[in-house]
Amino acid sequence: MATEVEPHTHIEFHTHDGVGLIRFNRPEKMNAIGALTRRQLGDAIKQAERDDAVRVVVLTGSGRAFSSGADVTEMVQGAGMRTPEDVGNVLRNEYMPMLVRLRTMPKPVIAAMNGPAVGIGASFALACDIRIGTPESYLLEAFVNIGLAPDGGVSWLLPRLVGTGVAYEMFFSGKPLLAADAHRLGVINRIVPLERLEEEVRELANHLASQPRNAMAGAKRAVNHALESTFEQALEFESYLQEAQAASAEFAEGVQKFLARRKG
Amino acid sequence: MIAAMGYEHILLELEPPIATLTLNRPKVLNALSPELIRELTTALAELDADENVRAVVLTGGPKVFAAGADIGDMADRGAVDQLRRDQTGRWAPLAGFSKPLIAAVNGYALGGGCEVALMCDLILAGETARFGQPEINLGIIPGAGGTQRWPRSIGKYVAMEVMLTGAPVTAQRAYELGVVNKVVPAEMTVGLAQRMARQIAEKPPLAARMAKEAVLKAFDSPLTEGLASERKSFYFLFATEDQKEGMHAFLEKRKGVFKGR
Repeated sequence: MATEVEPHTHIEFHTHDGVGLIRFNRPEKMNAIGALTRRQLGDAIKQAERDDAVRVVVLTGSGRAFSSGADVTEMVQGAGMRTPEDVGNVLRNEYMPMLVRLRTMPKPVIAAMNGPAVGIGASFALACDIRIGTPESYLLEAFVNIGLAPDGGVSWLLPRLVGTGVAYEMFFSGKPLLAADAHRLGVINRIVPLERLEEEVRELANHLASQPRNAMAGAKRAVNHALESTFEQALEFESYLQEAQAASAEFAEGVQKFLARRKG
Repeated sequence: MIAAMGYEHILLELEPPIATLTLNRPKVLNALSPELIRELTTALAELDADENVRAVVLTGGPKVFAAGADIGDMADRGAVDQLRRDQTGRWAPLAGFSKPLIAAVNGYALGGGCEVALMCDLILAGETARFGQPEINLGIIPGAGGTQRWPRSIGKYVAMEVMLTGAPVTAQRAYELGVVNKVVPAEMTVGLAQRMARQIAEKPPLAARMAKEAVLKAFDSPLTEGLASERKSFYFLFATEDQKEGMHAFLEKRKGVFKGR
């Protein structure tokens, strides 16, 4: 099994025209996430956050799946997760910083759901700001099927996206939320045929990459602040953000463009 | 704005009636070296004596408040060296500052940096602020009041967590605990602290001073003593011109103009 010891890239990361594309790259394993995947994904997400040339991030899979979730074979064989405590440590020390980074980095993050997102794979899709799917996409909280409770932030994310009723049904039944239902519930922003997914996502990402970046960052910061605060606190935080934004070149340019358009 | 000269490790901006002190060693995350502490406390003593200054903002700038003491300077010191340094005495101009002092905290306020923030009267935190006492990781404990001011502000259990785990708390958690007055967008923290300082600077300065003194008294005296002291300050203020001005302005429905007399 010489291929096993070959250095293998589980994650691809390219930046083009302001769009940082992070791709799960284990199509033969339905993009299962193992120890090496975690390390490479963590690096890619960190780089995407820090690199100013990246204005928009896209997270996607290769092959048929977005991601089938944790590499259970690797877990059973004991690589890196020998004890229950290891399982907890991987969640706290590895997944948590990645998921927090996706949700809080001050730039848009789009999940291009080229197929099923299962377990921790669904967590990554749900931690993104926007999801675009195909008719074959689905979200599956498969934990209960192997005797586990939900993790990867879905106990927080899913109830906020779909309400507790649908979230509980997914957690209890271990059955998928199919593309059409996910779209109807607003979890997936829109559904396009697989052959059009890349183009659709590229168009959206390019558009967002041309939008004023601090204004978009402000929207993300305000939403993240609001999710932890009262209505009054959210209003106040917005008002201060808006003061900063009103003093920015982005606002000056935006107003100029707006006035020019009206005259024209 | 007048930038006062003669300081290397801090910036002092005098914009009467307020002043802003900025810790200014960004390359070392504003580590609190003996030189920086000397400059900071000297500047505070000057501002305390300056009648034109009525409120002060203390900040580390947009990225970091202060990531702690200068460990390089401490690693090989002995107990007697540290004792001779007189930790309590050297912070007196900060802990005993008589005018309202607002900390504007972005990024890390750790160890001594956190204790400096806790010695201020109000704390405004950017969303990026992190407060913590990581001293335990180095085999020591906080030495500038952290073990005393945390529990007096938030109670025993979370204070213990802060001291014993060394893990920092986020701006939002600090707000929920009551250590932080407001969480604001990081680019606005210093500006808002200055705005707040200007609002406070419009108040009668002697009343502000007595109010501050009375609140601090609550932290280190029994209730009866604190109440008696409050009462004396209350009587004292009736001997000031500002009290006459304040009450007459109120009755005449105009804004009072206060002189600190």
